[in-house]
Amino acid sequence: MGRLLKLREAHKTDAPATCSVLWAHDGSHLATSCASDTEVLIHDLSAPPPGRSGSTAGSSPVVLRHHKEGVTAIALGPMAGPLASGSFDHSVKLYNFPVGSFQGNVTRFTLPIKSLAFNKSGSLLAAAGDDDGIKLISTIDLTISRVLKGHRGPVTGLSFDPKHDYLASIDSFGTVIYWELSTGKQLHTLKSIAPNYNSDSSVLNTLSWRPDGEMLAVPGLRNDVVMYDRDTGEKLFNLRGDHEKSVCSFCWSPNGKYLATSGLDKQVLIWDVDLKQDIERQKFEERICGLSWKPVGNSLAVIDVVGRFGIWDNPVPVSMKSPTEGVVLNEPHPLFEDEDEEEVLGKGISCYSGSLDDSIEKGSGDFSPISRKRVKKRGPSFDEGEEVLQEIDSRKRRKESENKREDGEIRERAVRMQDAFQVGFTPPQQGKRRFLCYNLLGCVTSLENDGFSHVEVDFHDTGRGPRVPSMTDYFGFTMAALNEKGCVLANPCKGEKNMSTLMYRPFGSWANNSEWSMRFELEEVKVVALGKNWVAAVTSHNFLRIFTESGLQMHILSVNGPVVAAAGSGDLLAVVTHASDCLSSGDQVLEIKVFNINEATQTISGRLPLTPCSHLTWLGFSEDGRLGSFDSKGNLRVYSDQFGGSWLPVFSADKARKSEDENYWIVGFNATKLFCIVCKSPESYPSVMPKPVLTILEFSSPLASSDLGADEVENEFMMTNLQLSEIRKKIKDMEAFGLDVTALDDEAFSLEVKLDRCILKLIASCCHSDRLVRATELARLLSTQKSLKGAITIVTASKLPILQEKFSTILEERMLDDLKTPEPIPTGRSNGKTAYSVQPPVRLSPMMEKSPDLNNRTPNTIKPQIKPSPATETLKLVKARYSTPENLAQGEDISKERELGSKLEKVATFVKGKGNATSEVTGKDVSSSATGNVKPELKIPINPFARVKKAT
Amino acid sequence: MAGQTDHSISIFSAAEVEFIAEDEMIEIVPNIRMDALNLLCGDFGPFVPQIPCTVPLWLAVALKKRGKCSIRTPDWMSVEKLTQVLEAERESPREFQPLPFHYVEISRLLLDHAHDDIPEVYMVRSLIEDIRNVRFHKVESGLETISGRTHAVKLKNLSAMEVNLVRPFMARVLQAFYKHDSPEMVQQADTSASKRPQVVDRGPRRDLRPR
Repeated sequence: MGRLLKLREAHKTDAPATCSVLWAHDGSHLATSCASDTEVLIHDLSAPPPGRSGSTAGSSPVVLRHHKEGVTAIALGPMAGPLASGSFDHSVKLYNFPVGSFQGNVTRFTLPIKSLAFNKSGSLLAAAGDDDGIKLISTIDLTISRVLKGHRGPVTGLSFDPKHDYLASIDSFGTVIYWELSTGKQLHTLKSIAPNYNSDSSVLNTLSWRPDGEMLAVPGLRNDVVMYDRDTGEKLFNLRGDHEKSVCSFCWSPNGKYLATSGLDKQVLIWDVDLKQDIERQKFEERICGLSWKPVGNSLAVIDVVGRFGIWDNPVPVSMKSPTEGVVLNEPHPLFEDEDEEEVLGKGISCYSGSLDDSIEKGSGDFSPISRKRVKKRGPSFDEGEEVLQEIDSRKRRKESENKREDGEIRERAVRMQDAFQVGFTPPQQGKRRFLCYNLLGCVTSLENDGFSHVEVDFHDTGRGPRVPSMTDYFGFTMAALNEKGCVLANPCKGEKNMSTLMYRPFGSWANNSEWSMRFELEEVKVVALGKNWVAAVTSHNFLRIFTESGLQMHILSVNGPVVAAAGSGDLLAVVTHASDCLSSGDQVLEIKVFNINEATQTISGRLPLTPCSHLTWLGFSEDGRLGSFDSKGNLRVYSDQFGGSWLPVFSADKARKSEDENYWIVGFNATKLFCIVCKSPESYPSVMPKPVLTILEFSSPLASSDLGADEVENEFMMTNLQLSEIRKKIKDMEAFGLDVTALDDEAFSLEVKLDRCILKLIASCCHSDRLVRATELARLLSTQKSLKGAITIVTASKLPILQEKFSTILEERMLDDLKTPEPIPTGRSNGKTAYSVQPPVRLSPMMEKSPDLNNRTPNTIKPQIKPSPATETLKLVKARYSTPENLAQGEDISKERELGSKLEKVATFVKGKGNATSEVTGKDVSSSATGNVKPELKIPINPFARVKKAT
Repeated sequence: MAGQTDHSISIFSAAEVEFIAEDEMIEIVPNIRMDALNLLCGDFGPFVPQIPCTVPLWLAVALKKRGKCSIRTPDWMSVEKLTQVLEAERESPREFQPLPFHYVEISRLLLDHAHDDIPEVYMVRSLIEDIRNVRFHKVESGLETISGRTHAVKLKNLSAMEVNLVRPFMARVLQAFYKHDSPEMVQQADTSASKRPQVVDRGPRRDLRPR
């Protein structure tokens, strides 16, 4: 077995158990723990002079005996931060490190703890185990700041993203979840990507972020380690090689260049991650379950399942870059000195173990089998001075990178203002065609190929859209906008040679060569938009440039800030700009302006609302010219003139989403629906091939869950109301221009009927849940008398005489109003209703026919007078007792008469009828319960009289 | 025999079965804008480019032939699903997996007319052929178990094409058994041959074949 690493016993175990090992940040101490031992040991390595590799001589370790059962996990905070330990006894404890004094209990679980992790600043400790939640504990006041629930099995591995955006966790089923720390939401759930150890509790799945946070290493299913992307959770690549069994543990070198992995096959491999190649290996007697790189120098601490640990010096061949080179240390300054020495010393050792065979090493691509021998062969060698010089060099570099990093952090802390984006684009992907623009009409796609691209324009409607020949693009267009008449393309500037260019291609023109392009010196086109006979481009100088279709430069305006997006349709151009830097909460501050290009006016100006912590992802007009915006949290807002111009949230992806892994990539919307492409996570953009298919989603208001339990109807109510108000506004606008509005009127009328139907449903559910006041309010919203009568039938059926009475009053008022103003409708309802509500008596009669059994055959002289009069529903019931078919005919006659007669006469007739009816009812003393309830009101016929006074 | 010709009439040719299958609904993605079609069998559309809608297979094929739409492969026609079905078919020798009643015809039509819309078309084609062979073999081997005391055979999830192949044979076999079982029937064979044997008591009933 060649040079075998000598392992020292630290923990005594009877059976193999998971052990862990950790380095102090200055490399002076080592902490070890073992799942079958209650002690945590801190070994001091700095006291004796570091000896030969493998010898970890040290004075007796500090023993921490605070747990009652085996210690399953230890974690170390940054700097000389606290040491945390978790145990089978369900508790998490904190100690001073490296002194080892007990600080306190952090938290208790109901089940054993399996994993612990500190975040980079040490402010958060994550703990998890067999409990169904990951606890995030603030280390400052030891409070639980959040519990993340989502894993089905015991969580065995935790890792904080070094940039502090995410936490990654893995359970024993091999499922990995990315959590967003700011919200506690699951970003990505990668199911069964790691081996399933659910039946085997001796092996714990782990995972780990690369120190730069760009990728996450997870053990793979094929004896490999798989890297996943930081943001998208996509698989990047895997490290697959000589492990014969699954990888059970690994550790990133401090600079993220190397990865040490240990497998169930008792091997430890060192990988060069950039080359994806294993560079060194070592076989052990027992499985290694804990690995830790020394934060300085070139050493790896290992611990096996029987509790023996050792330090492997120079796991990375000395000829190669040190695993700690380029690392930013977080040590406070005074420590720097010591550490420097230490490091130089360390280097000294390593150079004494020499790099005789540098040349061989450089020459050979395949290291693994020989390198071990090679390391062994290393004899004492040369010149410490050179090495020290190199070290100084690398320290300088380190300081530089540290400075850079600080800058970066500052920028990161202030949340980035979102960049300008072209509506309907997808980001470039290597070797794949991508969309420059995708809308409901068609798409512009581009495929990069040897420095230039092929741009194609396709219309969805192959029957109608013009055929556009594909074009070779030497500019490298990244933005495009498309409408029926043409498309506009633009590229950002790439250096001095390739300046920003705007090109317009009309699809049909009577003249040859009507394509044109504009070049911008020292200015960059950020977004483009297209409308009816105009082309707009917003540039880095915050200029809004408007060109005509033929390329005439018409207007140049200054916009208020850096542009975010623009959209055009017809005469309208919407431009979204930043109004100021982002708020500290992460909200973008955006401003929107809508211009009418042909009339050179500004129609809308104001702030663009977004969901907190989101950014704008789409902006556009619907086919009927309504403006909408979509943000990264999946909310669609539509601009409406209500309340002096405001944005109404009409769709939320959270509610519509059927499964967690669906992303909606919006393409457009109309009055009631949203058109989008559903992308399965982790994809958030559609790909060009196969052709994406649009999905239609219904709008849904973000309604609060109400006590009615009729959410769908309530939503329909909101949406129809919104639609109706839009149509009414349009009618008004068109009437102002003296245009024909009959078609719109019809539409408005059918919408009113729809709304009424919806209100009736709501009234019914109000009746069910005993919300009588709300029902009355709803009844007042009904637009036609027919539906009001329907409402009365509903309440009669549900035996609510009070409501019946109220509704009757409403109906009565409505009828009176109609009488007073037969032609214009006072409530602002559309004309469509007029025709409908002029002849109430005619529609009264069918209702009477419905109850013929009630008809009393005795003729009554008062009836003819009652019938034409607008009477309450209860009155009608009373009347129904006396009405006969002949009376119906009479009623109709009278209604005709009434159309001829003057308004005054009519009112008089009504009053007479009303008065008579009242007196009759009281006189006859009807005994039905419904009418009995109504009686008191009927006895006081004040209202009708009052109205008569007004009318006369 | 008169009965024979009667039965042979009830067989459809493959083309006829396919014709029947053309009434099955399928999802298409049109690439033209067209108003709704009001047909005797129902209203279809309106057709908007890139927005899927459901139409009968014959209409889908007709549109596809004119290059006016692409047909969305049904869920069961994915390689993944078909692989599962094939495995299950092979594992259970006495059962049939649930597939659309017209799976043979639909897949044939789609493979003929819309092969460019099917992902991994060669794989799908060979999987469907395999499934078909396995199932037909099952049907044939099932026929061997018919004995003199079989009154009826219960076959769940059998598809149109499969049933069409075995129906005349099966019916005649059962009838023949029936005739030879009851001697009094032989005498009046001509009159009752075409009649369905229904409630005549013929000894202890044999259990239906397991599903």
